[in-house]
Amino acid sequence: MRRPDISEALRCLGAARSGPELRQQAEQLADELSAALQPRSVWAVWPLVRTGDRFRLEGAGVTLSGSTAARMLDGCETAALLACTLGARFDAMLRSAQARDMAKAVLLDALGSSFVEAGCDGTEEEISARFPALHRTDRFSPGYGDLPLDLQPALCAALDAQRRLGLTVTDSLLLNPVKSVTAVIGLSPTPQPARIRGCGYCNFRENCQFRKEGTTCGR
Amino acid sequence: MDADFFKQGIVLLDGAMGTVLQQRGLPPGGKPELLNFTDPELLRSIYREYIAAGSQILCANTFGASTPKLAGTGRTVDEVVSAAVAIAREAAAGTDVKVSLDVGPLGELLEPMGSLTFERAYGYFQEIALAGERAGADLVSIETMTDLYEAKAALLAVKENTRLPVFVTMSFEADGRTFTGCTLSSMARTLEGLGADAIGLNCSLGPDKLAPFLAELCACTRLPVIAKPNAGLPDPVTGRYGMGPEEFAAALLPCLEAGVTIFGGCCGTSPDYIRRLRAALDGKAPAPRRCRRESFLCTPPCPVPLDGVRIIGERVNPTGKKRFQQALLEDDLDYILDVAVQQEEAGADILDVNVGFPGVDEASMLPRVVKKLQSVVSLPLQLDSSSPEALEAGLRVYNGKAAVNSVNGDPESLARILPIVKKYGAAVVGLTLDQNGIPQTAEGRVAIARRILDAALARGIPAEDVWIDCLTLTVSAQQEQAAETLKAVRAVTEELGLRTVLGVSNISFGLPSRGLITQSFLTQALAAGLTLPILNPNQREMLDAVAAFRALSGEDAQCRAYVERFAGADAAPAPVKPGQDMTLEDAILRGLKGDAGRLARQALEAEDGLSLVEGRLIPALDRVGEGYETGRLFLPQLLSAAQAAQAVFEAVRAHLADKGDAPVKKGRIAVATVRGDIHDIGKNIVKTVLENYGYDVADLGRDVPPEDIVEAVAAKRIPLVGLSALMTTTLPAMEETTRLLKALPNPPVVWVGGAVVTPEYASSIGADYYARDAKQSVEIAKKVLG
Repeated sequence: MRRPDISEALRCLGAARSGPELRQQAEQLADELSAALQPRSVWAVWPLVRTGDRFRLEGAGVTLSGSTAARMLDGCETAALLACTLGARFDAMLRSAQARDMAKAVLLDALGSSFVEAGCDGTEEEISARFPALHRTDRFSPGYGDLPLDLQPALCAALDAQRRLGLTVTDSLLLNPVKSVTAVIGLSPTPQPARIRGCGYCNFRENCQFRKEGTTCGR
Repeated sequence: MDADFFKQGIVLLDGAMGTVLQQRGLPPGGKPELLNFTDPELLRSIYREYIAAGSQILCANTFGASTPKLAGTGRTVDEVVSAAVAIAREAAAGTDVKVSLDVGPLGELLEPMGSLTFERAYGYFQEIALAGERAGADLVSIETMTDLYEAKAALLAVKENTRLPVFVTMSFEADGRTFTGCTLSSMARTLEGLGADAIGLNCSLGPDKLAPFLAELCACTRLPVIAKPNAGLPDPVTGRYGMGPEEFAAALLPCLEAGVTIFGGCCGTSPDYIRRLRAALDGKAPAPRRCRRESFLCTPPCPVPLDGVRIIGERVNPTGKKRFQQALLEDDLDYILDVAVQQEEAGADILDVNVGFPGVDEASMLPRVVKKLQSVVSLPLQLDSSSPEALEAGLRVYNGKAAVNSVNGDPESLARILPIVKKYGAAVVGLTLDQNGIPQTAEGRVAIARRILDAALARGIPAEDVWIDCLTLTVSAQQEQAAETLKAVRAVTEELGLRTVLGVSNISFGLPSRGLITQSFLTQALAAGLTLPILNPNQREMLDAVAAFRALSGEDAQCRAYVERFAGADAAPAPVKPGQDMTLEDAILRGLKGDAGRLARQALEAEDGLSLVEGRLIPALDRVGEGYETGRLFLPQLLSAAQAAQAVFEAVRAHLADKGDAPVKKGRIAVATVRGDIHDIGKNIVKTVLENYGYDVADLGRDVPPEDIVEAVAAKRIPLVGLSALMTTTLPAMEETTRLLKALPNPPVVWVGGAVVTPEYASSIGADYYARDAKQSVEIAKKVLG
């Protein structure tokens, strides 16, 4: 059973330096959350065909363009797509918490972001287990660097994510349920350096207190 | 066609279309509906294979034939549906194979998860249903639904616009729930109530995993049950489904024994699977069904079988409550929601909802309140009104199986209310009175109960959905009536075998120590057979009495709940509460909501509301804000303090409403998350904090179109508007909204915020202020409104 990372959630609430009381509250809420639901994910792997700067996932109906994809996927022969979500039930929990206790709700919101990341980590482990001889790139998502956000519908369609996860893409290209991630991971026969750093990649970017204050958490 | 053919014997459907087309070259994400125009022969050939394999019903290739899903294809629903039905028809020519219109989810989430309203979803499904009947479909299959609300919209659209039989299947995950948390029993009872002709499960899992769920479904419904599983699960690397035809057919046989009679296949199946299934089912007879008949209410995640005492909370009701009346007149749905939440937390099982009050348009208010409540509270609702229009409007948008309070023995009431109850599959409370008033004897009331039951049965409403209210009269005015009521409760329970409802609080009106009388009456009524007491769950002694009764009756096995409720109560007699010498300021700073409310009510005995707010509350909040700004306090603590302040405000409002004084409001503000943006927690944080400085905040919601914001602001002449956007993709909507607001004759002051918004961006789009957080929003409000 997976559990959200408490320190990560508190850091992204800007409460990394908080006292034991808040941390204890977060611990308890994380227990409630992980008992109530678990991140769900789907993934699939396709051969990667490079034409100039464009990478086509052969048979997936997905083409990745731009310098981010070129940098990330350099040297990869296959790529995995993954989608992970806490689902509509998390959104219902969050709505319910907001009507009862906003303080609890903001903690739950941050824990949810950390939880869906933990779900993606778990899915990456599954992918690795199926391809022990290949090396993974960092996972990267539409909206990171110049990988366009308008890839979302195609990624979700390739994974049949609506049917299999209940994941939808709004007209404004947001994933709904809100605690959801889609990502690309390159698979290469040679070891891959870590390439990803910074806010553009982070799923907390939408409600990060550091960013609002004009700084970063330094990760 | 013979509309009942699927009610007798075993029926075989077809298998997958989408995954078969993918095997034959359709790329993932491609739209199978377009093949109706580009390659009809491919479709016909697959259908012919299914017919040869033994399918008796074909699903037309219309799963995604809805306006939202066809966007950008250049095809209309009508074109796709008529082409698709014609193709299946041609393949079936010369056979007695039927053709079903296939209806899938719209691909957008319905409210409250998404922005698609129930009414718009209904409109989309109506379009599909009408096209299907025009095209000559024999029946309709609504399938792969994961949201019961969407299934309801689709089912109502088919029932109200066509005469076709309709199947509904939903997709459940391994934990026995759909993605949205719907349970099997909630699905079964709701869809049967709404008039589905057969229900079942499709997609998501293989037959081995679905079998126990199908058995449960068979126990929950009298309808024929459908099984259309996947061929196991797909492998993420090869894309192949794990279960072969032989194994698939074998794994479905236990479902036949459980009572399933309609079989088919979903993703990963093919004509081969159907052929094996045909062979496995040949010569088999349907198994006898053992359906549990039970009184039942539900929302999707919260089934409430009425197999014991269930408490109906009475507080969502304006009668005699000035603060509630004020909330209704001011359209303050948040207050009504709070009242509901408190009852849920206190232990209610069902909530009665009454919004009838002079000056309130009940037929528009009741559905709005239902939507508001079901977005947050999971308990089932009992809609309480004498207006058939309001009841129908409320039942229509209710998600699950509700109760109606009430009908009575007057033939006119029966004729107006029962058809609505039947149509929406609700339960109904029958009051034992009629055009001649309340009979003074138990016998008279039981006779009316019998008439109500007969009338309900005649309309097709089952006995378990008829609950009888034998009526509580005030004991101080009509002393002999208490005994008559109890006698009637016993007779209705024993002679008619029906559930009884009783509003107990009325018994003690006009007497001192009301709680004692009410509690004693409640206990006696429970002993007489009452199972659905309507009471105030916030009164501890009432819930105590119910807990004791449940222990004595055996409903509370091993007295577990009783022990949990009272353990330690004897050992520790009233310790000195830590809050005893706490000040109001302390309570706010420490975020103690209960203490803050209590201390405020005490203070209001000596101090007037305004000075309490200005002299003590606001300075305390300012100290919290300062702690937050300097990094000593964090967001959750800021919000806890804000909520404690809210309790103080609520005490002040209730105090003023009781005195008939005007409410304290420091000025109106509207907040909204702009069009396209569904992340609204930031906006809600700002709202919470502003309200606790005494501002009157109109929350326009999330994903709000610019024109709606402008209309609301203009209509209410709101001087200050806060807009939130969290994604770069929704910034243009923020700009457009600001531009339109600034074009109003009396433009409001606009402030903006959200993760991607910067001060530079704010000034570039013509906003007056940028706020980094809730605290800065308060500073702006103070500057603009004082």
